Amino acid sequence: MAGKTALAQFRDRIGLTRDVRRIVYVYLAAVLVFAAGEIVHPGFARLDSIAAILTVASFVGLVAAGQTFVVLIGGIDLSVPWVLNAAAILLVTSSLGEDGRAVYAVLITLAMGAAAGLVNGVIIAYLGVPAVVVTLAMNGIMEGLTLGLSGGMTCDSCASYAPPVVQDAVHGSLFGFPTALILWIVVIAIVSFVLSLTTFGRKTYAIGNNAKASYLAGINVRLSTVLLYALSGFFAALTGILLVGFGGQASLGMGDPYLFQSIAAVVIGGVYVLGGRGHYLGTTAGAVTLVALVSVLLAMNMPDYGRNIIYGVVILILLLLYGREEKQE
Amino acid sequence: MSTEAAIERRRTGRLSHFLGQNVGLVLALAMLVMAVVLYCAVYWVEQAALPGMFELTSTVNNTMSLVLCGMGQAFVVVTRGLDLSVGGVMDLANALAAVHIKDTVGSMVGWSLIILAIGAALGLVNGLLVAIGRLQPILVTLATLSIYQGLAIRVLPQPGGSIPPVYSSVLVNPNGPSALVYVLVVALIWYAFRRSSLGVAIFALGNDEQAARANGIDTVRAQVAAFTLSGLMSGAAGLFLAATATAGDATTGNGFTLSSIVAVVLGGMNLFGGRGSGIGVIAGAFVTTMIVNILFFSNIDPLYQSFYEGLFLVIAVVLGALISRLMRRRS
Repeated sequence: MAGKTALAQFRDRIGLTRDVRRIVYVYLAAVLVFAAGEIVHPGFARLDSIAAILTVASFVGLVAAGQTFVVLIGGIDLSVPWVLNAAAILLVTSSLGEDGRAVYAVLITLAMGAAAGLVNGVIIAYLGVPAVVVTLAMNGIMEGLTLGLSGGMTCDSCASYAPPVVQDAVHGSLFGFPTALILWIVVIAIVSFVLSLTTFGRKTYAIGNNAKASYLAGINVRLSTVLLYALSGFFAALTGILLVGFGGQASLGMGDPYLFQSIAAVVIGGVYVLGGRGHYLGTTAGAVTLVALVSVLLAMNMPDYGRNIIYGVVILILLLLYGREEKQE
Repeated sequence: MSTEAAIERRRTGRLSHFLGQNVGLVLALAMLVMAVVLYCAVYWVEQAALPGMFELTSTVNNTMSLVLCGMGQAFVVVTRGLDLSVGGVMDLANALAAVHIKDTVGSMVGWSLIILAIGAALGLVNGLLVAIGRLQPILVTLATLSIYQGLAIRVLPQPGGSIPPVYSSVLVNPNGPSALVYVLVVALIWYAFRRSSLGVAIFALGNDEQAARANGIDTVRAQVAAFTLSGLMSGAAGLFLAATATAGDATTGNGFTLSSIVAVVLGGMNLFGGRGSGIGVIAGAFVTTMIVNILFFSNIDPLYQSFYEGLFLVIAVVLGALISRLMRRRS
């Protein structure tokens, strides 16, 4: 008991609040996973291997940025998979693989993602319909539109490649760092700044803690909600562009893994799922931990079903751990 | 004047009270009638005849899985939760059925019961995690969905296995709409549930958890029971899915997580818990199938199917939200 108090005093002295502590735990978990990987599969924690894992994690992390925004106000975005997939296909079909059309294609794709999120936000904020249902329906709508308009990926332009500029941009490196990773670091900086140091960020936390009180305090809750869902759609579309730049071509179903992974990253990152608590910095660590864990399992030749099961078990364990911390304090 | 007016007022009061309590059910039934009429019209235009026994049979047989898992979802939605693992439980039940059910009475009955028990057990796990672990239903069932899907692929890595024809014809008789009996059974299950003390407890929990607890209701037990019922119904849905396909596939159940929520919403259940009717959910399940049929006969590219499902889901929830807002303003 005395030890615990001493520990608590120490915690207070170095100024770690519970929320900060959670983020630190998640980074420690990421390091542990890399260490475990090195033991199971020597060479796992080499620099180039780490860079490859971080690049893959950046895709999850970017989707999870949008997911973090909506989870912070107690929402959820289940429309991520097909907004992402539609974005990837829209990029190749609108650019036709030509560099000259790349800027136009990227802009129209990002606008499409933001628009899908905007519609989600408007229905959720102004009609009071649960986010789960609206975004689930939006996922179906985007899936049907993508399949229908592309004729099940049989259209002539569907086989186009991403413009070489986009491919080079994703594959390239700057100062020895992969570009995707640098983009992610920039996004981390911007999102952290927005969440921690702007009124918009403060409003987001306020709404997540108590929407009614925020409304009474003069916050335009509906407008913020709409913006946050639009941002989630924007980030899903951005990830779609990066993925198609990374792989060269778009395919059906490429967005499917990102729903589970983005939510998992948010949960592992210690963002409170009822909103109002947590930070994108935690989510980023969550994304790295998750992707590193998957890589370890791949290195161990774990079959698909085993990965599915371990995914689920890891999330349950983390949920239980965080729940327990909640009760103690 | 006074007594007559009072009686009149009470009468309209009672009617609007009934409508207010059952607005979802009434809307769901109205939607079902509209869907059937539209289906008949489209069918008439295409085939110059009205749909007959064959169409009824195939519609009922194709909808049974959705009726069952929709009803399972309904039990959880009443508690204010959502069960995303429905598809995973169906996958596992489907895979187990295709691998183990052999052409003997003992095997068919025995394994059916075992699979139903496994379904209930999977639901029980969800319920315990949610109620005792005090975790968010959506996250718990998202995690267990992944686990159950993994187990299903472990049981049946490749689509295959087989379902004895006798088994299929008992569950989904292709020669007549005898599966309507099962629809009736599901409706009776809902009526029994609604009148049981467990039903009262689950509805009370969905309306106001603290008030329910203050009135001596064991809310943990009610929540666990709701998820267990959902698992049981999803297990049954997986059996019907296997019987319809006459073979197994560990992934065909995946889409039913969305479909079950669509059926619940079209059935007029309140997603904020405590309100709604399982009868509406049965109607909602049939509306979902009718939408697919109508699209088919309207020569709409089946690739657009999920677009229309999503669109109808949005329209239904938006209409529901607007109507309940209107009713609240009037009262």
